[in-house]
Amino acid sequence: MKNLRWILPTLALVLLAPGCILTSGQILIDFDLPSITATSSTGLIGEQIDLNDNSDYKDHKDKLKDLADFAVLGTFNNTGITDVDVEVWMTRDLTTLTDASVVTGTGIKLWGPLHVPAGGSVSIDWDGSAKLFTTAGKAAILQEAKGDGNFTLYAIGAAGTYQFDVDKGVLALVIDVGI
Amino acid sequence: MMRMVALAALALALAAGVASASPIGVGVGAFGGLSYPVVQDDVGNGSVYGLRVPVRLLPMITVEPYWLSAKMDDGEEVIGGITYTRDGFDNKGYGANAILGHVGGGGGFSFYPFVGIGSHKLTREGTAEIKETAYNFGLGFGISPTPKISLHVRGEMNMVVTGDTSRKFANATVGLNYDLIP
Repeated sequence: MKNLRWILPTLALVLLAPGCILTSGQILIDFDLPSITATSSTGLIGEQIDLNDNSDYKDHKDKLKDLADFAVLGTFNNTGITDVDVEVWMTRDLTTLTDASVVTGTGIKLWGPLHVPAGGSVSIDWDGSAKLFTTAGKAAILQEAKGDGNFTLYAIGAAGTYQFDVDKGVLALVIDVGI
Repeated sequence: MMRMVALAALALALAAGVASASPIGVGVGAFGGLSYPVVQDDVGNGSVYGLRVPVRLLPMITVEPYWLSAKMDDGEEVIGGITYTRDGFDNKGYGANAILGHVGGGGGFSFYPFVGIGSHKLTREGTAEIKETAYNFGLGFGISPTPKISLHVRGEMNMVVTGDTSRKFANATVGLNYDLIP
């Protein structure tokens, strides 16, 4: 019985240590992507993201540990005449690039590919989207989330000529934070 | 480091019991109940069930290996004006709890705290599985209407470690134990 005098308090201390596993949670933050389109491989319009615009992110930024889950959501409308495999790329700064080759040359592939048939639309759900994120993309977003919180997203076609837009596009991030 | 300290503490609790010459009691039990995600925006409520094998090593110390399986409902969130759902986790795991008290039959009531450690696996669609150490703690209330059977109601926090944080589940369960020995 003597051992219990310190065994139980020790376990309690382990569990209650500041910023530890007990005082943490997974919080959803999301960002609209209203303007992402691609009229051609040289006609991109990206979306500048400032995570600091989200109050939940601002409240927990200094205790952010990891990204627990993430998704690009919305309906991808292929307005072109050929099938397209949509990818989402990011640049680490706020940029206004229009050329896909520059985006892929300087950015990081975040998500995709999502196949959208010519003239068709695909609405991607959360489960389907989560599996399209790349490991490098997750690492890059986590770095930005722990940094200045500014980056730019671009949607491009993996190859060929293409033309598409995104309706009600959203970037959803579930952040692992200390509370 | 924290994991090592917790394991060492639990090992000491086991050693303290084994060193005793007191008669050992062994039972078997099943339980079921509800599982609630704690501060997890992307997971819904769920259900949990499992098995326990309480082993009384001292009059006031019981070590209880367990196995549990929980199915969490889909998380539901309105994002950009559209309701999206995210696959809830399957939480499967095993481990052992150290209970300060008596959880067997024999008549009467019992009220006991417990702490534990285990290995749990969280799986969901579109995400790599999380197989990690889990910590448990909680309180239980037992009532024994017959010498060998007892009914237990427990509230428990189950925390599956994910790096510097954890996925936490608050479980409320009801279980039945049957004493095999003595």
